[in-house]
Amino acid sequence: MYRQGIAGLPYYLGIDRLDQIATPEDRVCVLNILGGESRTVTPVSHAFSGGNVVFGTSPGRSGQVLKTPAGDIPVFNSVLEGLKAGHRFNTGVVYLPPSGVRDGVAELIRVNPDLRKIVIITEKIAVHDAREIRAMAQANGIDIVGGNCLGVADSWSRVRVGGALGGDHPEESLLKGSVAVFSNSGGFTTTIAQYMATAGWGTTTLISSGKDVYIQYGARDFAHGFANDPRSRAAVLYVEPGGYYEKEINWSKPVVACVVGRWKSKLTRAVGHAGAMAGSGDSAEDKERWFIEAFGTDGVFSAETPHASAKGALVTNIADIPAALTAVMALNDMQPDFPPRGSLALKPWIANDQGLHLPPDVALPIVTAPAPYAGQITALSDQIGAVIARQGMKDKSGASVMDPKTQVTSVHGHTVLDLALQPLNAMFALPLVHELADAHDRALLDIAVSAEVNLVGDPILVATDAARDAGNAPNAIMAVAAAITGPRRVERALACAQALVELFAKSGLRDGRDDAFDISTISVDDETRKLFLATQGEADDPRPEAMLAAIAARGGRSVFLRLLQSFGERLSRDAILAAITTTIAWGPMVRKRISRLTAETLPWYLRLYGVMVGATIPKEHHQSGSLWGIPRSERFQNWTMADLCCLAMTGKQPGPTEALYIQILIGLLISNGPGAISAQGAKGAVAADGPQTPERVQINKAMIGFLTHSGYSHGGNGFEGMAFLLDQFRGCALTDPTDPAHGLDLKAMARKFALSYKEEKRHAKELGQEVRALPGVHHPIFKGKPENFDPRERFIARFMEERSEYNIFHDFYRHLVRELFEVGASPYVFCVNIDAIIAALLLAVLWKDYQSGALSPRDLETAAFTVFLFGRMIGAAAEIDDHLNRGRNMDTRTPAAACGHVL
Amino acid sequence: MQVTGMLTGARLLAHVDFPTSDVLGPDATEDQIQALIDRHGVIFVKPLFRGGVGKKGKAGLIGRADDLKTALAEKERLYFAEHRHGNALAKANGVTFEAGIPAEHEVYFAITDDTRFRAPTMTITHRGGVDIEELGKSEIVSVPFDALTGLKAFVVANALTSLGAPKEIISPLVQHLPKLWELMHHYGMTTLELNPIRMMPGGNGRLTPIACDFKCGFDRDDPRVGRLGLPDYLFAADISVFEQEVNQLRTHQGQSDVFVINDKGTILAPTFGGGANSLVTEVLGDAAIISSDFGGNPPYEKMKAVASICYRHFLKQTNVLFIIGGKSNNTDILETFRGMGDALREHFAKHGPVPLYVVVGRGGPNLVRGMGNLADTLDSLGVPYRFFGFDSAISEVVAYAKRVDQWMRSGGRDEIARAMNINA
Repeated sequence: MYRQGIAGLPYYLGIDRLDQIATPEDRVCVLNILGGESRTVTPVSHAFSGGNVVFGTSPGRSGQVLKTPAGDIPVFNSVLEGLKAGHRFNTGVVYLPPSGVRDGVAELIRVNPDLRKIVIITEKIAVHDAREIRAMAQANGIDIVGGNCLGVADSWSRVRVGGALGGDHPEESLLKGSVAVFSNSGGFTTTIAQYMATAGWGTTTLISSGKDVYIQYGARDFAHGFANDPRSRAAVLYVEPGGYYEKEINWSKPVVACVVGRWKSKLTRAVGHAGAMAGSGDSAEDKERWFIEAFGTDGVFSAETPHASAKGALVTNIADIPAALTAVMALNDMQPDFPPRGSLALKPWIANDQGLHLPPDVALPIVTAPAPYAGQITALSDQIGAVIARQGMKDKSGASVMDPKTQVTSVHGHTVLDLALQPLNAMFALPLVHELADAHDRALLDIAVSAEVNLVGDPILVATDAARDAGNAPNAIMAVAAAITGPRRVERALACAQALVELFAKSGLRDGRDDAFDISTISVDDETRKLFLATQGEADDPRPEAMLAAIAARGGRSVFLRLLQSFGERLSRDAILAAITTTIAWGPMVRKRISRLTAETLPWYLRLYGVMVGATIPKEHHQSGSLWGIPRSERFQNWTMADLCCLAMTGKQPGPTEALYIQILIGLLISNGPGAISAQGAKGAVAADGPQTPERVQINKAMIGFLTHSGYSHGGNGFEGMAFLLDQFRGCALTDPTDPAHGLDLKAMARKFALSYKEEKRHAKELGQEVRALPGVHHPIFKGKPENFDPRERFIARFMEERSEYNIFHDFYRHLVRELFEVGASPYVFCVNIDAIIAALLLAVLWKDYQSGALSPRDLETAAFTVFLFGRMIGAAAEIDDHLNRGRNMDTRTPAAACGHVL
Repeated sequence: MQVTGMLTGARLLAHVDFPTSDVLGPDATEDQIQALIDRHGVIFVKPLFRGGVGKKGKAGLIGRADDLKTALAEKERLYFAEHRHGNALAKANGVTFEAGIPAEHEVYFAITDDTRFRAPTMTITHRGGVDIEELGKSEIVSVPFDALTGLKAFVVANALTSLGAPKEIISPLVQHLPKLWELMHHYGMTTLELNPIRMMPGGNGRLTPIACDFKCGFDRDDPRVGRLGLPDYLFAADISVFEQEVNQLRTHQGQSDVFVINDKGTILAPTFGGGANSLVTEVLGDAAIISSDFGGNPPYEKMKAVASICYRHFLKQTNVLFIIGGKSNNTDILETFRGMGDALREHFAKHGPVPLYVVVGRGGPNLVRGMGNLADTLDSLGVPYRFFGFDSAISEVVAYAKRVDQWMRSGGRDEIARAMNINA
């Protein structure tokens, strides 16, 4: 049952010409105007169309308005209410959710006798409802477009009804021309218009038809309006599989049809809309054939096979539409509407290859985007460094993670096992640049830290010695030094770093070591310049010159230092420190591995590293010009972080093997993830200062947080393993623990201990006492198999085997776990754990000095604690920086509901 | 969402009291089968497929038995039968035993929404039981009818009359067939086909139409389907775990069907817009892992949830994460990119990083803010990327993604893995 519209058609159609679809006279009512989609789309449509929406509905929101650039649109509870208020419209637009669409259409038809057209935007309307909507519209003489579409637009009269053709800037793509567009795809309706513009073709009417089973305004309806529209010289159709809408249409003017979806027939089961049953003759291939037959061409048009006739051309890729259209129109002696606009070539707007060297056809150079996007992208690039979203960071870390299976922790993507094999200065740099520093940057870091270690003349030295005399453990002594390295002590260094970052932020500099960078492009005002210069009070400080000499001697390159030196005046130590840190940080910052905040706070960390290491060296060894007898210039020019750490622990420069094992030890101890007590201390300290106001966070206090959260149990227990080994090797004539020809029967020693331990266990059991745990043996995760291994111990063992290096204490541990099992003291072969490795390696380094009496057992204990603190200082720096960048104020607290009360 | 066969079909037809043949399922006992044979003389044994599987008879997949031994032999032959129809390969899991209905007349009947008429349309012939494609034009008729009034008796009567159908079948069909519209229209079906309906003579010589095979398609967007209480497994044929999981998030706010194109593919392409989906799937070919349309302005949380599922199933094998769409009309780029970026960050945190190259081709509201947000995320993860705006042809961007995939396959993946300090 249908009302007769255009004569001769076996169904109702009211739109006789395409220019009647979206006219300047149309008045529109939008159902669910305040819904999520309409709220953003309708204001643009309304403004673009010169204010064609008379009102909208949203039940329960009567009296509200939808603000638009063309004025407010009133909102009513219902259509009837809007009509009663005196508004009149002929076109309804439906943004209702799927279940409400049918009723919305019924409402529009029943209460508004003026209604002529409805555009349904909603997708996923049930077929049941679509068939009833069709029936209602046919019976009442209403034209419907959609559903599941983006509406209609007219480029000539600049009207857009329903939906968002042309997006948020319709004027960019709806260019007046001579081609009508009918597309099953909403998004591609706009895309096709853009593509056509590159060949100089503009549009008349654009229709997004939708592609449900019921296409209420179908290709046949379009063909009728197209034939009668004198503005439209040609049409472009975008067609998907399913339905017979395009079959046997008599196209009166040239047409380019783009049929897509061949891939669907390759699938192993039916997809697409429910009407497209397999084998029903409406596949992509079928539709291609319909058009080829209609156009009388030999096949699909493409750049290689330009099959076209005066009637039209078939393409299967939208990229071919402009060329096909031009070819077809040329056969009709018709020229494009305007000169080509834009091009379809690849134009990357934003890219980052993360330092990779990609092949040229992949590494396409960045192209400036059109306005206004170029400006927005420039604004983005002004944002130098990574941008990190803040979140609650309690028990979370972006810096470290422990794999619960292997118990191996990673810091910024590097496992501590791998880190242990990296140079120590690379480990110290990692928390701050989030990458492994290369030899050049490591050398700069060595110089920066060396310049801070000697504390002669500094009150820190008095304070730390007093702390040491008071019987404090090394963590408390280091905390004293960190406390004094407060904000004011780094104020100028941080200001220098900030100034350098600001000066170069928009310079395009990619590498802080770029010798070719033209520093004359950087202009520095007098006030900033003054910031970098040494003051009168610093006239006696020898370190600036020594640092510059060391940088030169080590082949250091720095754009920033080059700029500062170009001033031709004496630089302060702070300025040089800031130049070094900015050089190291620049690459990672522009690659967005680290934030600008991290780069600008880096001097504080390096100063803390130096001061905290220096604090572990007793006062008497800090002399003017030398530290523990090592002259300043030698230290600055040749020494590494590993040397400095070893010096602090043993009082001498280590040999290469000693330095290697100190490095490995420190590496293994860097982090145990954010759950470790030391990490919690550091994170709590940051949280308490409030990372959302990062300039107020005292990084030195956060270091103290980690130090106060280490102690004899967490950090100091490394000595227990050494004490155990000392017990076992007491009285042995062992001179070199690294010599496999030591002449000791380790198996017998291990068996002897195992038997006594078994006896001890039995005795303790009889008395109901707890059996003492053996340090370095067994692990709560790596257990239960016939023979067990701690993967971290295996890693170091393999490394030593590869280097043909030997450690008697480690060897003893391996015998011990076996003998414990053999004598029945353990149910299976326990693992030798990571603590054993640490004790074995450290004792081997210190053995000779211990044997000679140069080191006391107390010194060994201090050394064991200190090596832990050195390692964890790196891990703490990583957590502090991470929490500073990511965390929220006071985010480490535990809600009262999660706390317990005990009696 | 299709159902074929009488096991479920008989249940559905019972909702509108349409007569059906007796049918037993795969768990029928020998006694029950024997009783069925005793009652009807002849029974048919048919493999039980899930989903829409037709042309079983032509493929020799219908067994006929008049004794228990034959019935059981046919059961054994057909229980796990495979049936290829076009590209689709169906595997049976079970058989049905259906009573043979003696009849002189077989009728084909279907209702579907015919796009030629844009109306519900009845197709009918009294020369059923065969492939209707084989019938001459004068032997079958398709008649559209009004959706608001439904399939009326006179529509059936007129159609059968125009076909010259035997008089004795017209009255029973006019009486029974309109019920099928009730079943189709009120329970969310898009298609209902009975072939054959066998016209069984009763004691008084009057014929009764008995449905002997059943096929229907359901509209997944119609909540009326839920009224039937059909078990989910009926529609789970050949659907991967991924598809089941991701399609649960399907609503009118974004996301159409997502399905796996090649579970060994290397380009994971969250695609926005049906057109983009067709283009991308076509051009990527076997490199594509999934075919998707996430357009329709999905909110942040939904986008993140969908992306998380995609990453969890496929990121490990992915060379190129390819976020692609035309110039969106209303989909908020910031919200969608933020959702996908955050999901990627969380995936890396939880499951470890993977060597990846990200290619984006997109336009729409908040485009640069969205790109900036995603760039920040990728920078923090150390993942290389290239973003194209809407002024690059989408087809060219798809070809670029393929080039990156080729580079990844020939050593690029290892290179990125080394740079990210992870295993390839």
